[in-house]
Amino acid sequence: MDFLVSSFASALRLIGSFSPDVVDAVRTSLSVSAGATVFAALLGIPLGLLVGLSDFPLKRFVVTVLNTLMAVPTVVVGLLGYGFLSRQGPLGVLGLLFTPTAIVIGGTLLAAPIVANYALASVRGADPRILPTALTLGAGRLRAVGTLIGEIRFGILAAVIAGFGRVVSEVGVAMMLGGNIRGYTRTMTTAIALETSKGEFAFGMALGIVLMMVALFVNLFLNLLQQR
Amino acid sequence: MYRLQSIRKRYGSNVALDIEELTIAEGRLYTLTGANGAGKSTLLSILAFLTPPTSGEIFYAGKRVDRDHGSVEEQRRKVTLLHQSPYLFGGTVYANVAFGLKARGIRGEEQRRIVDEALDIVALRGFRERKARELSGGEAQRVAMARALALKPEVLLLDEPLANIDRETIGLLETVIASLPARGTTVVMTTHDPAHPGRLNGESILLEGGRHVLQSLR
Repeated sequence: MDFLVSSFASALRLIGSFSPDVVDAVRTSLSVSAGATVFAALLGIPLGLLVGLSDFPLKRFVVTVLNTLMAVPTVVVGLLGYGFLSRQGPLGVLGLLFTPTAIVIGGTLLAAPIVANYALASVRGADPRILPTALTLGAGRLRAVGTLIGEIRFGILAAVIAGFGRVVSEVGVAMMLGGNIRGYTRTMTTAIALETSKGEFAFGMALGIVLMMVALFVNLFLNLLQQR
Repeated sequence: MYRLQSIRKRYGSNVALDIEELTIAEGRLYTLTGANGAGKSTLLSILAFLTPPTSGEIFYAGKRVDRDHGSVEEQRRKVTLLHQSPYLFGGTVYANVAFGLKARGIRGEEQRRIVDEALDIVALRGFRERKARELSGGEAQRVAMARALALKPEVLLLDEPLANIDRETIGLLETVIASLPARGTTVVMTTHDPAHPGRLNGESILLEGGRHVLQSLR
């Protein structure tokens, strides 16, 4: 028990002293997660809306694929990304492996199905009168869909936040595509894995606390928006 | 205003509507009656150009409505459907009533004037800044009516607008509805109340099992 208490105290000291390693890992984590979330939202929200609002022959199959993609292990995405971005891979010429951009690409692939599924669920759960009401009041198809998005904005926001949560908390993609390079591609999660394996439990705990704080602030932000 | 020819609407194997011919004249008020499942709401949705018929032709103001060549959106702006249980968007009463005006590019002072006029008609002027979702059922129905009236539609389609609301609101809305043909708006309204055609000085259309069986003229 003493070990945990003393580690916790050391972790708080590390956070309070703004240890450069902690700050670097937090900054990298937040920037790549934000980037991946933006791209995942740009892909996932329209995809979820499109699947939710249209009827086409393979719709059930597409929904099943989207559901399955939500559960893909992060290391599988990392492996796939590695295959494409490594020097021998088809995109190796771009030199993106072990860069923050590679983590953003992998994170986007991880988060997009989650955002799409949440957006799809929001559309399915939306009041069926929204679109006909907008249309009969003279809105064109595009404005009517815009109105629908406005009405289900909290569901869409939850979709984006779930995507962010998936990216910020994963290890596999960041490790395999980022390479865990100190001060460059080392994220909170890869740093926790590395430092703990080296016996630096307090350092790992400091980053764990920051990670939990990030999750808390994101959820507080969501609640605040919902109350307005 | 409308001429429907051989209009059929199927949902799977179920025929919801099967109308050989129906004419709706401009500037009149029609009450649409029939049992539950008679096809009243389906007919209104087709007249509002929200639901395409499975087969048949619709002529509006003498022109054939062609869904494939973009004329539906243009025609839809001339017709407004008010649902039995209207949906009010999140936000204020003002934002709701102004919705269709914005879609038509009407903004600024003109928009405010039209919204105020429409709220006056339904006796809700003081409700401009109220949150739409916090209104009572009767108030919500009146806001939805104001939202439709603000657009001065050529045709107003009303799906049981007087169901489930208090007597005072019914009286107010009946007066508003009865006054519309004189302002040039054609009204088609579904109802279960047999007294409505007489009270609203309207003509009656009866549907049975999706078929148009009677049209009485006053």
